[in-house]
Amino acid sequence: MRGLHVYVLLIVAALALAGAGRLNAYWMHVAIIAMYYGILAASWSLLAGYVGLFSLSHTAFASIGGYTSALLVKWLGIPVLLGMGAGVVMCCALGGAIGWVCLRMSGPYLAIFTLGFSEIVRIVISSEDDVTAGMAGLHTAPLFQSATRLPYFYAAFALLAVSLLLMGLLVRSRGGLFLRAIREDEQAAGASGVAVARFRILAFAIASGFAGLAGGFYAHYIGIMTPSVGDLDEMAKLVVMTVIGGMERLPTAVGGAFVVEFLLEWLRDYGQWRLPIFGIVLLLTMRFARNGLVTPFWLRLVRLGEARVSPRSAARELPQKDPGA
Amino acid sequence: MSGGGELVRGVGLVKRFGGIVANEGVDFVVAEGDLVGLIGPNGSGKTTLINMLTGHLEPDGGEVLVRGARVSGRPPHVYAAMGVARTFQLTQLFGRMTVLENMLVPGLTRPHSRWGEVARRARGYLEFLSLSDLEQLPARNLSGGQQKLLELGRCLMLEPAVLFLDEPFAGVHPRLRAELVTRIRELHQGGRTFVVVDHDMESILRISRRLVVMARGSKIADGEPEAVRSDQTVLAAYAGL
Repeated sequence: MRGLHVYVLLIVAALALAGAGRLNAYWMHVAIIAMYYGILAASWSLLAGYVGLFSLSHTAFASIGGYTSALLVKWLGIPVLLGMGAGVVMCCALGGAIGWVCLRMSGPYLAIFTLGFSEIVRIVISSEDDVTAGMAGLHTAPLFQSATRLPYFYAAFALLAVSLLLMGLLVRSRGGLFLRAIREDEQAAGASGVAVARFRILAFAIASGFAGLAGGFYAHYIGIMTPSVGDLDEMAKLVVMTVIGGMERLPTAVGGAFVVEFLLEWLRDYGQWRLPIFGIVLLLTMRFARNGLVTPFWLRLVRLGEARVSPRSAARELPQKDPGA
Repeated sequence: MSGGGELVRGVGLVKRFGGIVANEGVDFVVAEGDLVGLIGPNGSGKTTLINMLTGHLEPDGGEVLVRGARVSGRPPHVYAAMGVARTFQLTQLFGRMTVLENMLVPGLTRPHSRWGEVARRARGYLEFLSLSDLEQLPARNLSGGQQKLLELGRCLMLEPAVLFLDEPFAGVHPRLRAELVTRIRELHQGGRTFVVVDHDMESILRISRRLVVMARGSKIADGEPEAVRSDQTVLAAYAGL
């Protein structure tokens, strides 16, 4: 039975939604934050894994999305959802602009450029106390007037699901095929008729938009925005999550975010020592399992219902898109 | 020249890399139905010329026209959309994508193209190139010769008016080389126009209807293969005189 994994995932999702009310406040908070990182990891894998654009400004865009929404809600009194939408638009526009400026950059040059942009964003937010409240933190309007975190859990779940669905549709479309072609060889993609510049800018804009969405949700969930949301520690954490999960597939990137976030909380008794542990896991992953640690489990899940399909008949099927995408 | 309509024209093309003049005022015309062999010693500027004629290098001087329209300075995908396809000196495939996906990419860039129809066309070309059984393999797993064939197939998916093949026979086993020559001939007979760059004079002479010779960044001969072969300037250039 093909597509069995979809039913398995739907059942797991239904169980998670049904059982969410039984989580205590602490673990529910961890789950919500894990889903926030899930959106960030999936959108970063879209950029770094699918297109090969190793940008280090992704959490900076989450920060921009969060501050944009929080400030617009504060200044103009617009509904929070509208503010979050404005944050997404702002990040798409800025992301597209960064993509345009970086058109001729790749590899370490792109990483250094985006690192610089990320630091500029952080320092501007830290310094402009009058506008952003700087290091003291900007108090934000809550998304829900609720005594429990349950509505936030459902909201985070819905945002993650919709984000994955949209990104999944993109990577399975012809646009997704072109993005992978650009990652493999930009020159050959251009010779094959792919408008390389347009797709690179689009990838930056879309991925930054999702980062802005995550940031907007975070701002109105946590209740306070600080410059640390977009700092390099956060970016490093996001890289660790995505690489450990598997950066070339959206679900494995999300899996990596969940695994790392839950383990970080579970190992809290080890204090700062848990961070070097994750550093070592990252090094081992890069050396021995470049496709990520979650990827083998994901591929096994995807092939659950395909055990009896002969390789010959599988090869005849049409059109061949990445089965794990 | 075949006398067909003009497809690509390079006028006074100049390209310099630092102090090195790679192309010095080269004029080059490809007409419909041509099968041009472009030869010359290493460093004579053949690949630079092809790069300019296909949009991968912007000329420092002169201009490129495709079907009479000035296109120099435009990105490569514009050339591809106008029917100008190319392969690369060192094969450049989408290595981690499957053979079929390599074929789908150019096919799907065409306006109004549909997955099903493009996949069917891709499978037709894979059959033609004897690559059908490999369609689910990552392209990087193919042998060198098969990669050259796939790169040719990828070009064909654009349904191009003209194909520039940069050293298609280099490093290819003689049996596959013969297959490549046969395929190019068949495609030419089917109405495709080719410009083939190579050092393998034997293969070039077997297929080309017109021979262009480059030396030290300039075109030194252009005409019927037999006439060009006996040209004293060409002989001198090849003998290193």
